[in-house]
Amino acid sequence: MEPAAIHQLLVEKFGDAVVGWHPDGPEPCAEVAPARVADVALFLRDDPRLAFALLMCLSGIDWDGYDAAGKGKSVAILGYRADGTPEAGERVATGDLGVAYHLYSYAHRHKFTLRARVPRAQPSLPTVCRVWPTAAWHEREAWDLLGIVFTGHPDPRRILLEDGWIGHPLRKDYAMPGAWEGVPLQGQPYAVSSAKPVLPPPSAPAPRPAPPDQGARGPAEGGSA
Amino acid sequence: MTSRPLVPDSPTPPPGYDPAREHMLDFGVAEDLAKVVDSDRKNFILTTVDEVFNWARLSSIWPVTFGLACCAIEMMAASATRYDIDRFGAGAFRPTPRQADLMIVSGTVTAKMAVRLRRIYDQMPEPKWVVAMGSCAIGGGPYFKYGYHVVKGVDFLVPVDVYIPGCPPRPEVLLDGLMRLQDKIRGRRGKFRPPKWVTEYARKIPYRD
Repeated sequence: MEPAAIHQLLVEKFGDAVVGWHPDGPEPCAEVAPARVADVALFLRDDPRLAFALLMCLSGIDWDGYDAAGKGKSVAILGYRADGTPEAGERVATGDLGVAYHLYSYAHRHKFTLRARVPRAQPSLPTVCRVWPTAAWHEREAWDLLGIVFTGHPDPRRILLEDGWIGHPLRKDYAMPGAWEGVPLQGQPYAVSSAKPVLPPPSAPAPRPAPPDQGARGPAEGGSA
Repeated sequence: MTSRPLVPDSPTPPPGYDPAREHMLDFGVAEDLAKVVDSDRKNFILTTVDEVFNWARLSSIWPVTFGLACCAIEMMAASATRYDIDRFGAGAFRPTPRQADLMIVSGTVTAKMAVRLRRIYDQMPEPKWVVAMGSCAIGGGPYFKYGYHVVKGVDFLVPVDVYIPGCPPRPEVLLDGLMRLQDKIRGRRGKFRPPKWVTEYARKIPYRD
């Protein structure tokens, strides 16, 4: 089935919950209201005409610098200066965060892309890991690196970084750390500067932010950022 | 039908042969030892304890099995049959740092791994050496600018004896770095002790359980 026809099915079934349709580009995608993502996902998986049994990929997106219509300009992210110190930025990120679901059907051999846009102030949407179990780790990664909260996730810990990490590094306004729990992350290579490393002044370890739904090992609702 | 000799005698040295580097391929004592061993007299050797110990140490450097990233693939290639790091006495990769002399930091040192790396280094008995293999271990490599979790050189954590550039370095370069390390060990005198700034600096890096 063609992506446009799949979009038509979604519109017939969910009506206003399908808020957008982007037919251009290599992967046409439908945009749905974030609160209805899990319902739409279940329909996409269980409807025999669609039978999207495989979630190929779940990606988090940071639309910093772009408005809801997709107009805008890419912003420069912060890094380390040539002398090894982190760049400081005063700019406050604008624009929404989002999640893209790339689906594939073994039965019909067709693909579809679903997209949801969540506000930066409260980036939360329901989990789909009960529709596709493989989404559990992908959602943990999206939480870890972009800070998108998936409510009802059974195990919403960070997956790549340590639990005590401050911030979400793939957000475009993320400032690079100078050190992390005593480990220096700034500085220059020995070949550039033969000066001995200077450890940043010790600071009291920041309290570890509790991940959302900490301890909730079942279907829990209502996580907090 | 003529049989080919097993070792063709060539009047010219093979390409890449450098007489100035010949001492790095053996220990320079083979001829002297041959005189002693072939003689029917009772001979003795005069040397220093340092030299004997250094010779023993450089002849059997045991690395700890510690691969971090793609450089570790080249390290594995260097230890396999084609390059065979065991020819230089450094083929016994130990699964525990307690039995190891050398840590080949082969790859990107992340913040998460830094405390583990430091702990493994501290668990190795003296004397011990560190080889920083590849751009990442030398200075962050391609992750210098935007690597939010990468230590910009393993020498921020442990003292490094030999730096091997490359991304990743080929096994030949790792073998060359190993021979540079052997040169370094051959010249060592006295006690083995890391520099003072290293021990003081390392104390500030906390362990986490």
